[in-house]
Amino acid sequence: MALFINGIGCISPQRTFDNSEFLAEVKEYSTNRLTCVDADYTKFFDAGSIRRMGRLMKYGTAAGMIAIRDAGIEVPGAISTGTALGLPEVSQRFLKSLIEVDETIVSPTTFIQSTHNTVSSNIALLCKCFSHNNTFSHKGFSFESALTDAQLLVLENMDNILVGAYDEVSDYKYAAMKKTKELRSEPSSNLDVYGEKGNGVIAGEGAAFFVLAKEKTENTYGMFVSNKAFYKPESTEEMRNHILSFLKTNNSSLEDIDVVISGISGAKETDAIRIDLNKNLFATQTIVAYKHLCGEYMTSSAFAFWLASKMMKAQQIPDAVILENKNRSPKNILLYNSHKHNHSLMLFKAC
Amino acid sequence: MKVFIAGKGVISAIGNNVAENFASLRNLQTGVSKITVLPTRYAETLPAAEVKLSNEELAQRCGLNSSEPRTAFLSSIAAKEAVADANIPDFKKWRTGFISANTVGAMDKTETIYKYYLEDDNTDKLIEEDPYDEGYVTELVANQLGINDHITTISTACSSSTNAMAYGARLIKANQLDIVVAGGCDAMSKFTLNGFNSLMILDTNPCTPYDENRKGLNLGEGAGYVVLVSEEVAATLAKKPTTILAGYANANDAFHQTASSPEGKGNFMAMQGALEMSGLSTKDIDYINLHGTGTSNNDLSEGIAIQRIFGDVPKVSSTKPYTGHTLGACAGIEAVYSILSIENGIIFPNLRFQTKMKELDFVPVTELLENMEVKHVMSNSFGFGGNCSSVIFSKAN
Repeated sequence: MALFINGIGCISPQRTFDNSEFLAEVKEYSTNRLTCVDADYTKFFDAGSIRRMGRLMKYGTAAGMIAIRDAGIEVPGAISTGTALGLPEVSQRFLKSLIEVDETIVSPTTFIQSTHNTVSSNIALLCKCFSHNNTFSHKGFSFESALTDAQLLVLENMDNILVGAYDEVSDYKYAAMKKTKELRSEPSSNLDVYGEKGNGVIAGEGAAFFVLAKEKTENTYGMFVSNKAFYKPESTEEMRNHILSFLKTNNSSLEDIDVVISGISGAKETDAIRIDLNKNLFATQTIVAYKHLCGEYMTSSAFAFWLASKMMKAQQIPDAVILENKNRSPKNILLYNSHKHNHSLMLFKAC
Repeated sequence: MKVFIAGKGVISAIGNNVAENFASLRNLQTGVSKITVLPTRYAETLPAAEVKLSNEELAQRCGLNSSEPRTAFLSSIAAKEAVADANIPDFKKWRTGFISANTVGAMDKTETIYKYYLEDDNTDKLIEEDPYDEGYVTELVANQLGINDHITTISTACSSSTNAMAYGARLIKANQLDIVVAGGCDAMSKFTLNGFNSLMILDTNPCTPYDENRKGLNLGEGAGYVVLVSEEVAATLAKKPTTILAGYANANDAFHQTASSPEGKGNFMAMQGALEMSGLSTKDIDYINLHGTGTSNNDLSEGIAIQRIFGDVPKVSSTKPYTGHTLGACAGIEAVYSILSIENGIIFPNLRFQTKMKELDFVPVTELLENMEVKHVMSNSFGFGGNCSSVIFSKAN
């Protein structure tokens, strides 16, 4: 079911928390680990809460509150979120203390914040939203499932659904990505990640939230038409068929698509299918990339959703994201992202 | 449109399958005892409800590698039992989903890996799968079940598996899927044991939910799944489904991160919402399988909310004195118990109950009740973050 995107909020390694800006200045990093540019959290929480909250709790909750305020609503009709790894930094602080003291005395503060639904419920707590509250925690399908949940909720007669996703790169995750050689070696500029030189992704993180609704408002960014997730597609050919049939199901076709947002990440092996499709299937579309801005993480498609929203409203594509320019204006946008076995498509339409 | 329950599967401290669980429930056999499997300094002091099989034994039973997380073994055993029980002809021809819940992921493994990581942040141990990745557990089992149309994991603390069943039912009603294997799993871990202990809500004796002198909960582990099917699939089954998923609701208490509001607002809204969807009145509910953890806060908020909605409170009991609190698995396990109650006309007792809570007008069932007519059962599950969910199972006509 197509829904209007009426409010957005994004905190990422770029300056994205201010909705009046659109990637005016792109932040360049010379490291393989991108962390969020913080918003002014005193606008959302009191000093005591800021002290107690972990980093992701702060930027995740704030991104949700930005979207709610942007949509001009007080309380969302329901909340559905996705997070692949929950709140690893606070969980690890709890784990570290428990290992260090050999299970003797540990403080509950970090344990309380360790469940994966903490951000979603914290937003409910702040805006007194007593309605449906869900958290999906499934790798590269986390945000996608929350979107499906939101679409079902609207079919079930709810409206103004706050949907979003958030993840953070913890020290542990960073060390693991290094060890498995998923990461490209340092130093590297995030802006060169798609070049011939080097192999591997840049670790990233972020939170992005959206208010999805049945009716258009003055603030509407565009329409989220549909999404579909695919587990373990095996070849470019299979993905190509999925894309064509996904478009057909949504009364669209490849010719209608102006812009493709590609989940290309800089890892040669996983990019092969994306590069192949970019060259051979999307020959007439402007191709846009985003992982040089936010890094690779399992809910990065929420950052891409933010990018699609901004492009539709501004009817402009920032130079910083263009991979292949065919001079098309961003009316119909297709997103194709994947993380290991989890592949997903999303379709957007400007109003 | 009706959503039928075509199969069920369970593993818990009181049995490795549905038949063993049913026998223990009838024989008033608790699973709460001294900790012997989880290596912890609290083995002698904090009782829990463990599945008394080692990782190697569980792995062997389910065909996964013994180095995988314990949560996956429990999930695999119960989910496979549920699918076999449903015995759906041409399983492959339908659009099928696996919606699983868990809250600890591979935490049992992390506790070991993290120790190595603290000593050396370049240890080879880091090559293993991400321990906070709850979806990893789901995919291991989805691969075994051969399900790939729709896979996801829900993590809303102790209400997780109710929300998994509800999400599955909604996908069937929206005609996106025909069959959904839904439920949840969680293994014991030092992380949760120490976490709940730090909140001072663990009973040092076997728990006594809804008792005036209750002292807290006992942790448990296990998994429980149901196979939800559309009317179209139900019509093809040799064994006619006994039960339907008649109603469900997800609400948020929006009161405190880990405590329920004194009046049980979220609990009230969840039960009310499930009743509304089912089209039933409070008088129709024959039995409520309580969340009933045994903590002072949960039982009071839940009890007050029940009193407000029902007035004349039906038969109620918590089965957590048998299984402990299995967190992300509890609603899956209790779904299986609720269905057993309907199928067999039996209401399971709230073991170890002695003294009525002074704030409440009702007491739970304390003896096994047989030869009852049980048509409609409500099952509650409430969690951290104010997540409150209720579900209603009804006898299929």
